Amino acid sequence: MKPLNFIALVLFICGVTWVVTLSERSVRRIQQTYYATITPFLKGGSSIESQARNFLEEIEHSKDLENQLRAIEEEYIKLRSIEGRLRELETENAELRRALDFKEKSRLNVIAARVIKRQPATWWETAIIDKGQRDSIGAGVPVIAPGGLAGKVDIASEDTCSMILLTDERCQVSVQVAGTPEVGILHGTRGRYGEEPRLILRHLSREAAILPGMKVITTGKGGLFPSNLLIGTVKEYTPGPVEGVALVQPSVNFDELGVVFIIAQKNEPEG
Amino acid sequence: MGWYHLSLLFLVITACIFQQFTPTFQSLCDAGILLVPLVFLCSAVTVGAGPMLLLAFTAGFLWDAQHVITPLPAALLGNPEVYDNPGGDVKFGYSIVLYALMGFFMQGLQPLFREGKWHVSALLAGIAVFLYLSAEYLCVTFVRGDLILTHSLFLKISFTALLTMLLCPMVFWVLYRLAGLFHHTISYEGLARERNTAH
Repeated sequence: MKPLNFIALVLFICGVTWVVTLSERSVRRIQQTYYATITPFLKGGSSIESQARNFLEEIEHSKDLENQLRAIEEEYIKLRSIEGRLRELETENAELRRALDFKEKSRLNVIAARVIKRQPATWWETAIIDKGQRDSIGAGVPVIAPGGLAGKVDIASEDTCSMILLTDERCQVSVQVAGTPEVGILHGTRGRYGEEPRLILRHLSREAAILPGMKVITTGKGGLFPSNLLIGTVKEYTPGPVEGVALVQPSVNFDELGVVFIIAQKNEPEG
Repeated sequence: MGWYHLSLLFLVITACIFQQFTPTFQSLCDAGILLVPLVFLCSAVTVGAGPMLLLAFTAGFLWDAQHVITPLPAALLGNPEVYDNPGGDVKFGYSIVLYALMGFFMQGLQPLFREGKWHVSALLAGIAVFLYLSAEYLCVTFVRGDLILTHSLFLKISFTALLTMLLCPMVFWVLYRLAGLFHHTISYEGLARERNTAH
């Protein structure tokens, strides 16, 4: 081995040792800095993406009407174009109204945020939202979406947050099967790809009277999530020799996660 | 260390930003394109062991900063009576080691690349991505427990390796352009030594 390569290898080993022995606090600080650095790119890229999507939608819309539009005069084309834009605004308006309505109906003090990026990670289910420490959001805070619980904040930088989705194996929630005394710990699954997300509910009784279609809600125990937040519905229950396990279909559509709500302050006493 | 090596560092950081905007394909078992590993693997074959290790360190460090879920402080883990097994995750920095191993793997066929047979290296990059993902999944499994091997998992890894490999020619093209721009010669010293000995 050449001396230079040997020195490089020694330096590399020293570097790896330093990184691996970093405290969790230091790692979180590194990750906060990392997210703060990439935030401008994420926000810029997300904005370009949405503009491109709107543009493509407009093109698609135009193609559908192409045959009719040929026969129509220039003024009419202009009107159609304006109408297309208005429709887009109407959809956005409806979405915001729904979000506002959800916020008003919610018993919790929530902050609305927009998901700007689903993380392109291979084994981790995370997303980046456009609110951060500036809005008094910190790590571990629950995130809900129209439909129910969506996850929790992992790392909060100044302007953005990285959230762990409920579909990730690391996001554990204390839940109860509604209408039964059955409580357990629910988390995401590993090894299932390209299909609808499923959640696993463990620590149930061996012979629990759980039927498909039953609703699963948070218990509020453990101090992480408020009670009575909808998680999803039971798809399948498997009794086991020690404990029962249920597969749960989440109530939140994680493929279309647009607006989410971060629980700023828990209004309920915790169990 | 020359301008070419610095440009590779810049390329890895740029790949890290572009990685944010790469899509995942639900119809292909959520497979995606791994730009950072791809740029690293292609770069690794064009440089010596020292610069490769530096690239591995940078790429692995950024990769983990992006992906690894660090355990929350104890106060935010919830009541231990309810959440009795908060579960661990892979240690920050594990990717650096994996990247270095893949880098050495790529350098194994460096002589062929230096002879202009870049397509062999492209194929090897696909294999390296497959091995990298498998190793990463095994690391995650080792820490979290429960070895879960499914058909869709195998397809996800395979499709990701394939999609990533398809972009190899583009990355090699960029690397050749950079080498030309910074007057970096991609040559294999071993071959030169062999030729000198023969003469």
